[in-house]
Amino acid sequence: MKRVLIALSVGAAVLLAACGGTSVASNPSTGGPTVITPPAAALTGAGATFPAPFYDAARFAYNQKFSQVTVNYQAVGSGAGIQQLTKKLVDFGASDVPMNATELTAAGGSDGVVQIASTLGTESLAYNLSGVSNGQLKLTAKTIAGIFLGTIKKWNDPALAADNSGVSLPNQAITVVHRSDGSGTTYIFTDYLSTVSADWQSKVGKGKSVAWPVGQGASGNAAVATRITQTPGAIGYVELAYVLQTNMTQASLQNHDGQFVIPSPEGATAAASQFLAVNPTQFSIVNAPGAKSAPISGYSWLMLYKDQADKTKGTALVDYLDWLVTDGQQYAANVHYAKLPSNIVKDDINSLKTVTSGGANLLPSTVAAPS
Amino acid sequence: MSRGTAERVVPAPLVAAGHQRRLVFGDRLFRTIAYAAALLIMVIAVIFVIALVIPALPAITKFGLGFFGTRTWDPVRNQFGALTPIYGTLVTSAIALLIAFPIGLGAALFLAEDARLRLLRGPLSFLIELLAGIPSVVIGLWAFFTLTPLMRDKVDPFLQHTLGFLPLFKGTPSGYGFLTAGLVLAIMVLPIMIALSRDVIRAVPRELREASLALGATNAETIWSVILPYARVGITGAVLLSLGRALGETIAVTMVIGNTMQISGSLFASGYTLPSVIANEFTEANGNLYLGSLFYLGVVLVLITIVVNVLARLLIWRFSGSGRAPA
Repeated sequence: MKRVLIALSVGAAVLLAACGGTSVASNPSTGGPTVITPPAAALTGAGATFPAPFYDAARFAYNQKFSQVTVNYQAVGSGAGIQQLTKKLVDFGASDVPMNATELTAAGGSDGVVQIASTLGTESLAYNLSGVSNGQLKLTAKTIAGIFLGTIKKWNDPALAADNSGVSLPNQAITVVHRSDGSGTTYIFTDYLSTVSADWQSKVGKGKSVAWPVGQGASGNAAVATRITQTPGAIGYVELAYVLQTNMTQASLQNHDGQFVIPSPEGATAAASQFLAVNPTQFSIVNAPGAKSAPISGYSWLMLYKDQADKTKGTALVDYLDWLVTDGQQYAANVHYAKLPSNIVKDDINSLKTVTSGGANLLPSTVAAPS
Repeated sequence: MSRGTAERVVPAPLVAAGHQRRLVFGDRLFRTIAYAAALLIMVIAVIFVIALVIPALPAITKFGLGFFGTRTWDPVRNQFGALTPIYGTLVTSAIALLIAFPIGLGAALFLAEDARLRLLRGPLSFLIELLAGIPSVVIGLWAFFTLTPLMRDKVDPFLQHTLGFLPLFKGTPSGYGFLTAGLVLAIMVLPIMIALSRDVIRAVPRELREASLALGATNAETIWSVILPYARVGITGAVLLSLGRALGETIAVTMVIGNTMQISGSLFASGYTLPSVIANEFTEANGNLYLGSLFYLGVVLVLITIVVNVLARLLIWRFSGSGRAPA
């Protein structure tokens, strides 16, 4: 069966190749959106680990659709991804935090690189408390900051008890678990804490790695999740996908509007839709207003050079990225990431339209965001 | 033992003169290849050190030697110091040796000396080699999932109950920390410790044993007053090589040390080691100073390892050079 499928896809590839390089044609059946056939190319990307499950699902689906294009993605971490892009070792880089001015200068100036938001994620505070079920624990910005600053040390602390009437919180020490490796997950979480707590901002600040006042570090979302599951009384911030996949108990978080929400992909989309102007320098969407907004949310980013040396490769690359931010978004939900809001998709496509090779734009101007 | 005499020894002519000339040419060729290989190793070592120091330069110029005495490690404010991970590295390695030394020496003595249980010797040697061959990430996984809960629920409370009056065993045991990391390291250095000590003990001249036994000493007395003193320097070398292994072990330690930038007198507390910081943070380290500080940690680690290796080498030279039991 598998062999038949391979034979079929090879046959399809030959047929497509016979049609020649890039072909743009309006879809005859609907007369609607244009269908683009990308040229044969092998694309490589490297970077963030947080969106890697989504990228893997998406590149597989894209390859099923256009077998002449293979996309390889190495989840080596955002920093390494940016460095590999700067050294032109990869065709695109990925990072949970857009490249900053220094990094852009190293990569040849802010005009040389196009950065697009690729997906949207949200974080949960997962805990291990016997007798306290999923969503039962309510945390406010104040108590979250207190726990991670180390001022709230026990589960029966009066500050926690005040928000959790009816829940029996044990007289047990709180074990804080955080990421030990540098990560975008940590950046988004500390960005949130810096936004809601002046104490946190002055004592710790935000970054992919920070000097944690309390707690133990574990490397990667999976290890943090495992350690929380293993340790009674533990709490930590984990990517929503890991919480849902491992059936961990997570807290209801009070958002900017005072509502308690259990983090979900819908909550992330709701938070993101509150920020219409998101760009590589203004990208924070934590502590978003709105009744349904999940408070600890953030975008993940992809970077590519504006001027592509190899026209064939560049054409395939912009087509892949255009697909990723539009049709490809359907694969986000399967792995518990949120769909990009339509305004961001529009921004992304407009950014991709500025990518050129030898002075010629690579993405046809007819391409538009789905309404 | 004057150098060079060995080279000049001419072998007795076994074959015709024409063939011999070819052999001489072959010798020269072989010597050239061997010299080139030796030189290549030196070049690689030098390039390695340069490649480590150059990226570390931003941090070396900024922090200088103060880097060794600074406890802060704050990537947000670009303040870096190596004291906390140096402390963690030394403490975990010390625990490892304290555990591995008596066990390793006992096993080595058994393997080298006890003839009565000869049947066990083969399988045991095989198992030790097997232990040496287990990848550290596998040991780390086992420690993460099996050892840490065991430490938290059984071993640590027991220690606290019996020895809790010592500051070493104060605090809440979480299963992660210096003690667990030291234990994992002990398991990892045991094969080295056992294999090297066994060989050193076996190298003790047979006459010495026989003389001791002939004088009426028991087996235990012979081991204690003849074999161990003779093998002392070699065993110290084995300890130092084990230490070198413990200092550099990364992945298994990272999984159980707790990864907390703190210096604590309690063995139950979590900490950090030099290789763990590098492994954890380099992928996302942005900025020359941050990355430079991680390279600087690498330089510190290499320096510590070099000191340990030089000590080991000196001891082994003394051992093999003198050819008799040191006083």
